[in-house]
Amino acid sequence: MLFSYNWLKDYLKGKMPSPKKLAELLTMHSFEVESVVKKGNDFVLDIDVLPNRAPDCFSHLGIAREIAAILNSELQAPDSKSEEDQKLKAKDFVSVEVKNKADCSRYSAKVISGVKVKSAPKWIQERLKVCGLQPINNIVDITNYVMLETGQPIHAFDLDKVGKKIIVRRAKRGEKIKALDDKTYQLDGDILVIADQKRPIAIAGIKGGEKTGIDKKTKNIVIEAANFNQRVVRQGSRKLKLRTDASWRFENGITPELVDLSQERVASLIQKIAEGKVAQGLVDFYPKKILPKKINLDLNYLEKLLGLRISKQKVLKILKSLDFKTSEVGPQRIKVGVPTRRLDVLIQEDLIEEIGRIVGFQDIPSTFPRAALISPEKNEELFWQRNIKNILKEAGLSEVYNYSFMGEKQRGIFNWSKGDLTELANPMSSFNRYLRSSLIPNLLRNIKDNLKHFDQIKLFEIGKIFIKKQNLREKKMLAGILTRKGIKDEGFYELKGMVDSLLAKLGIADVWYDDYRQTPELSEAEIWHPQKSAEIKSNGEEIGFLGEIHPKVMENLDIKERVFVFDVDFEKLLKLASEEHEYQPISVFPAAIRDLAILVPVGTKVVEILNKINIGGGKLVRDIDLFDVYSGQGIPQGKENFAFHIIYQARDRTLSSKEIDEVHQRIIKALEENPAWEVRR
Amino acid sequence: MDLEKLKNEAEKEVKKAKNLKKLDEIFKKYLGKKGEIARVFTSLKKLSKKERKEVGREANLVKIGIERLIKEKSKKLKEETRKLKLRKERIDVTRPGKKIEAGHLHPLTLVQREVEEIFESMGFSVIQGPEVETEWYNFDALNIPKDHPARDIWDTFWLKNQKLLLRTHTSPVQIRYLEKNHPPLRIVVPGRCFRHEATDTSHDVQFYQLEGLMMDKNISVANFKAVIEEFLKRFFKTNIKIRLRPGFFPFTEPSFETDLQCTICKGKGCSVCKNTGWLEIIPGGMVHPNVLKAAGINPKNWQGFAFGAGIDRLAMLRYKIEDIRLFYSGDLRFLKQF
Repeated sequence: MLFSYNWLKDYLKGKMPSPKKLAELLTMHSFEVESVVKKGNDFVLDIDVLPNRAPDCFSHLGIAREIAAILNSELQAPDSKSEEDQKLKAKDFVSVEVKNKADCSRYSAKVISGVKVKSAPKWIQERLKVCGLQPINNIVDITNYVMLETGQPIHAFDLDKVGKKIIVRRAKRGEKIKALDDKTYQLDGDILVIADQKRPIAIAGIKGGEKTGIDKKTKNIVIEAANFNQRVVRQGSRKLKLRTDASWRFENGITPELVDLSQERVASLIQKIAEGKVAQGLVDFYPKKILPKKINLDLNYLEKLLGLRISKQKVLKILKSLDFKTSEVGPQRIKVGVPTRRLDVLIQEDLIEEIGRIVGFQDIPSTFPRAALISPEKNEELFWQRNIKNILKEAGLSEVYNYSFMGEKQRGIFNWSKGDLTELANPMSSFNRYLRSSLIPNLLRNIKDNLKHFDQIKLFEIGKIFIKKQNLREKKMLAGILTRKGIKDEGFYELKGMVDSLLAKLGIADVWYDDYRQTPELSEAEIWHPQKSAEIKSNGEEIGFLGEIHPKVMENLDIKERVFVFDVDFEKLLKLASEEHEYQPISVFPAAIRDLAILVPVGTKVVEILNKINIGGGKLVRDIDLFDVYSGQGIPQGKENFAFHIIYQARDRTLSSKEIDEVHQRIIKALEENPAWEVRR
Repeated sequence: MDLEKLKNEAEKEVKKAKNLKKLDEIFKKYLGKKGEIARVFTSLKKLSKKERKEVGREANLVKIGIERLIKEKSKKLKEETRKLKLRKERIDVTRPGKKIEAGHLHPLTLVQREVEEIFESMGFSVIQGPEVETEWYNFDALNIPKDHPARDIWDTFWLKNQKLLLRTHTSPVQIRYLEKNHPPLRIVVPGRCFRHEATDTSHDVQFYQLEGLMMDKNISVANFKAVIEEFLKRFFKTNIKIRLRPGFFPFTEPSFETDLQCTICKGKGCSVCKNTGWLEIIPGGMVHPNVLKAAGINPKNWQGFAFGAGIDRLAMLRYKIEDIRLFYSGDLRFLKQF
């Protein structure tokens, strides 16, 4: 909110610091001052009043009181005396009816007759302009001036255009009103209005009606100062998309006690400036008077919470300067009466904050806590996450952080049904209509973007995805992606090698790969190439997928290169990972290598051959290494040649070549049990 | 043959030998199976026992002598050859090294790890929580009432047809943790948060926050100050200056903003600190009694501080990154720099 430096100065007894110094003091003790700008012979201070202090500090008096407290100075209240005309009685002109006191806890009307409507004096106009308001005429300007001064929104009606009775009620469906901004608003039961017997004359706490507004011919006026329910005003303001200086203040809440001072102040100014006669009395609906709250303050607790000892004398002085009433009820206990305008002060801690900030939080020393030495718990998930990230980085993958969202277009490309996705109620745009149900779509976007600049791309991401079943479930996933210009099937094996080495380093042994099968739960979604994808399995369950992305997806995304991906359930990985690692003694006896080449029908899986070799060889086979796959010239049509190194070694002895030959023969026999397989000799 | 003469001749030849090949020939000539010395030994048979002993001993001495000569000469020749060879070998040390293609960790990962390590070393456990939250944990339990303008501070993404939202801060984890763990305790909670707001160079729809919470019998504002100061000092690896000023958060009372003297301009004023010399960096405060009550903790017995640091912001300051959106761009030209 914008404040006038000169205006604030008026309320301060004693010397006012320079604008720059003032800004610094307010920032350190009350609210951040965002800027100080010279305007004419005044300065505009843009003060970021904290939301909880809106009730008392959306006003020059409120800020002045802060300054007085910070400077240990005194506040000088403005003159609010007016002379009431004994012959006129307010209640003879208007009466007030409030339909529901929950909507309006106070409604006051003051009547002033015989006003002369003209331009306001220059000093009022200038102050309004400094604070960002446009001068209109003396009556309206005075109501605005008093609002900026006290924080109480005030409205003036032309008495002669208003019926005798003012009613505060909810609008009826179908009612409408043309407001002072010349726009017509459709009203309904969510909106509170001020009405006379016939029609709404103002939107309560938001804006006045055009028909009952002040114009040049206005002679007699009704001044409204009221207190409307903050939720009702907020609801109405949102519904009508109309925010005003008044609605803003009511939304944040103000005390009904503010009415008296504001009415007096308005009357006093109008009498002086617009020469009106003030009718006697205030027509005032105020069924439940607000009394100051009382809070006990324990000085020992104050010291314990701030970590700073402050003398009782100083505490009393600070509280007094902020207009709190105090009485000592014990050596370390003070009973504090809270001014009604301080809606933010409810408990002892609120008072401690007041004292802390006026003393200055910056004056509190830094002191390390004294606490029991407890070593932090190890976070297993983060431990493994750090490890996994390091392993993948060393394997050449770079980490990305993508958005947790997916767009409508992505949904279409992967053929996800809407029912399987979690939709946002208020997306920013179509780009984040859904929560991501897989890391893959955004990784593919990364591929597409980066192919403009790089020939080879290897990325990974660890992040949460959102699965919609009966309940929404968050699931942490790990995915990696690989492509390069002209990549072929070897991409699959490269990525498979990375997954293998990752799993090995995590201590997950027992890993195998099965042909990918579209699972019914993934319904129609299309991600994987049906022939070039695998399920990664360990310990009897599927932990993820590895494979090439479906060519249809690639076509729709307009990515020219083939792309390979692994997508693993991070939580399952975590369960399988183990730090336990047992040392395997190194055999002191020499190893021997025999090569074996075998001719098999195309489509035979390496794992089938390996299984046979292991069955035939038993525990003397230490390792098997596939070193060549060949088909084409010299190989019969429909056949493929695989060549292996088989490494033989025993723990307890040197194997004789006779022994090795025997085992090797057993392996060949085992392989040739399959009539379509032929070991080449 | 005269042994003395043999020795002299051998000495001469060894001396003259120019290379290892020649030396080898000399070795064969004198010490080989059919060499001169061998012949002397063969001829011993013809001599008397006494002579045999005498000549044999002498021949042995000569043999050892020649062997030593050859060995020494061989060593010398090898040394010379090596020197000669080394003189011819060379590489260009100024040529670029061969690159090992490792990948890169994301800058937010790097900063998050560092922050976690600093707090772990001060006894804080690292805890995590869900990204989708209920209204209760994200707002109500944190003393942020419904239909209250205070809620406007947190622009929120809501899920369709469900009373769920994307957490706007990591503070809900305070409640979740306090429900299951009793003070004294110290935790930090790093995590992804979301805000429904227009994006620009310093705002994005998602960002990372680090929540901190320390509860005990006597934890004070002074303690908060010391812990935060220590953290910032270690993170920026330099002496830093902070200031505490009033702030407002419904879940803390008192509440404050922690400003760090601008690490770029050292307080002189620059574009990063918008010429104020200060960076608003870690909002925090003393946990509000209503928050403790919501989590089932008696505020009469326990007190403590809580704070929320922006990890993206720390990373931006550390690496002088000017646009927060780069973190979520997946652009390798950016990522490869870390």
